[in-house]
Amino acid sequence: MTRNKTLLIAAAVGALLAWLSLYTVSETQFALITQFGRPVRTVTQAGLHAKWFFQSALRFDKRLRIYNPAPSEFLTRDKKNLVIENYVAWRIEDPSRFLQSVGDVPSAEMRLHDIIWSGLSAAFGNEDLDALVSTDKTKLQSASILDSITASSDRAALQQYGLRIEDVRIKRLNLPEQNKQNVFARMRAERGRIAMQYRAEGEEQALAIRANADREKEGILSAAYKEAETIRGKGDAEATRIYGEAYSKNPQFYKLTRTLESYKKILDDKTTIILSSDSDLLKILTKGQGAAK
Amino acid sequence: MSILISPPVPAAIPAETPTPPRGRRYRHLLWYLVGAWLLSGIYIVQTDQQGLVTQFGKVVEPRVFSGIHYALPWPIDTVYKLKVRELRRIVVGGEIPDSVLGRTQTANSEFFSGDQNLLNIRVVVQYSVSNPRDFLFQAQNPDRIVGLAVESELVRRVAHTTVDDILTTQKLAIQNDVLKTAQTIIDGYRTGALLSSINIESVSPPPETAEAFRSVAGARSDAFRIVNEADGYANDLLPRARGEADQLLDQAHSYSDGKINRAQGDSARFAAVAAEYSKTPQVTSTRVYLEAMELILPKLKKLIIDAHSNLDLSVIGRQDNPTPAPPANADGATQR
Repeated sequence: MTRNKTLLIAAAVGALLAWLSLYTVSETQFALITQFGRPVRTVTQAGLHAKWFFQSALRFDKRLRIYNPAPSEFLTRDKKNLVIENYVAWRIEDPSRFLQSVGDVPSAEMRLHDIIWSGLSAAFGNEDLDALVSTDKTKLQSASILDSITASSDRAALQQYGLRIEDVRIKRLNLPEQNKQNVFARMRAERGRIAMQYRAEGEEQALAIRANADREKEGILSAAYKEAETIRGKGDAEATRIYGEAYSKNPQFYKLTRTLESYKKILDDKTTIILSSDSDLLKILTKGQGAAK
Repeated sequence: MSILISPPVPAAIPAETPTPPRGRRYRHLLWYLVGAWLLSGIYIVQTDQQGLVTQFGKVVEPRVFSGIHYALPWPIDTVYKLKVRELRRIVVGGEIPDSVLGRTQTANSEFFSGDQNLLNIRVVVQYSVSNPRDFLFQAQNPDRIVGLAVESELVRRVAHTTVDDILTTQKLAIQNDVLKTAQTIIDGYRTGALLSSINIESVSPPPETAEAFRSVAGARSDAFRIVNEADGYANDLLPRARGEADQLLDQAHSYSDGKINRAQGDSARFAAVAAEYSKTPQVTSTRVYLEAMELILPKLKKLIIDAHSNLDLSVIGRQDNPTPAPPANADGATQR
C-alpha cells in the first residue's frame, strides 16, 4: 500500500507541476510571461505552451478595438466651428511595454486621446472648412489629414505605450448647436432662391413657347394669305382672258347687252327719268304708226 | 455566435450495485466515463453554418462545412459555429425612423453636405461573414467596426456632395461608392466581413427647413405646370392656324374656280346669243333693247316731255334724286 501511496503522491505533484507550467493562448490573445513580476518574454502564437512553474502568464487581448469618445468641437483656420466625432481603431502591439507604461485599457484610451486629439485640433486648425466639407473634390483634405495623424500618432503610441493605431477616422461632422439655427436660416433662404429660380425659369420657357407659337401662327397665316391672293389673281386673270376672248368676237353686241345690264342695276325706283316724246321709244306713241318705219 | 461544446455530463452513477467486487465496479465506471468523454467530441454543423476548431486556443480547422464531424473533446478542442450566409443588419443614422415615433431626429442622424447643409440620413447596412476566422478573432466587436467604417465613408461622401444631389440623383451613386470604399476599409481591418448592400433608407432635410424644401418642390411643379400650359397653348394655336390657312386657300381656290366658271358660262352664253344676233342684228337689238326697257322703266318715275315745248325744270327740283337718267344714252344704245 505504501508504494501505491507514493505513486499517488507523485502523480499529484506531477499534475500540480503540469498545471503550473502549461498554459494555453487563444487566437485573440498575447501572453506575457513574467518572472517574479518582471516580463521575460511575449508569446504571440496561439496554442499550448510551457513555462517554469514559478513564472506566470498574463494574457492580453490583441484584437482590434474601437475607441469612440464623445464628439468635440474644433476651430478651423477660417474660424468656423465644427463638431467632429472621431473613432480610433487600435490594438495592443507590445504587451510588455503596454503593461509597464499603461497597464489597462481605460488609461490606454486616455493616452490615445492625448496623442490623437492634440494632433487633430492642430491639423484642423491649419485647414479651412473647405478641406473637410466642399463640393469641390480637389479641395478635400480630410483623408490625407487623417492619414498623417494616423501615421504620426501610431509612431508615438507604439514607442511610448506599445499600442498600434490602425486608423483614425471621422465618424461624424456636424455643427455646434448654437450655429445650427443660422445654417437652417441660410438653408431656408437658399431654398427660397432656388424656388424663385424654378418659377422664373418656368415662366421664361413658357413665354418662349408662347411667343414661338404666335410667330409660327403668323407665319402660317401670312403664307396662306400670300398663296390665296396668288390663286385669286390667277383666277381673275383667267376669267378676264376668257371674257376678253369671247366678247372681242362681237364687241358691238357686247356693248349693247352689257349697257342694258348696267341700266338694270343703275336705275331703280328712286330714279326719275325725263323722256323726250321724240325718243325712239316713244316716237310711235306720239307720232303714230308711221314713225315706226 | 460561438457555441462551446460543454464537457459531458457523467451518466448517473448507480448508487449500489451489490454483486461485483469494488475494483471492477469502479473500473467499469471509468471506462463508461472515458467513452462518454470521447463521444462528446462529435458535433454537427448545420447547412447554413460553417465551423471552426481550435486546439488549446490555436486554430486547427479554419473552415468546417456542414455535416457531422469529430473534434477532440473538452478541454482540448473547442468548436465554434457561425451562420455565414445570414445577412447581418446594422442601422447607421437615426435608430428608429421618425415616422414611427413622430418626433424630430436627433443629432445622430445629421450629416453635413458639401454645400454646408444639414440632412437627416438613415442607412441600413447588410453584411455577411466571409472569413469566420477573422470575424471571430481579429476584432473585439466586428459588428460595430463595420458600422463605423460605413458611417465614416458616408460622412466623407456626403461632405463633397450637394444637398440637391443627395436628395435626388446621387442617391444610388452614394450607395455604390460607400459600399466600395467601406469594404476596402473593412478589409484593411481584417474583420472578415463582406458588405452585401448599403441602402439609404431615408434622407430628409431637417424639420426646421422642411417647409422651404417643400416650397421648392412646389415651385418645380409650378414651373412644370406653366410650361405645360404654354405647350398646350401652342398645341391648340398651331392646328387652328393651319386650319385657318387651309380655309383661306380653299376660299381662294373656290373664288378663282367660281370666277373662271362664271367667265366661261357668261362667254358661252354670249357666244350663243351673239351668233344669233349676227344673223338678224336689227331685230335682235331692237328686241333686246325693248325687253330691257320693259324691265327697267316700270320701276322709275317718268316724265315725258314734248320735244318742242319749253322745259320747266322746277318740277324736278322737288324730286329726291334729281339726277335724270340720260336719255341720250338710251338713244345711244339704240343708235343705228
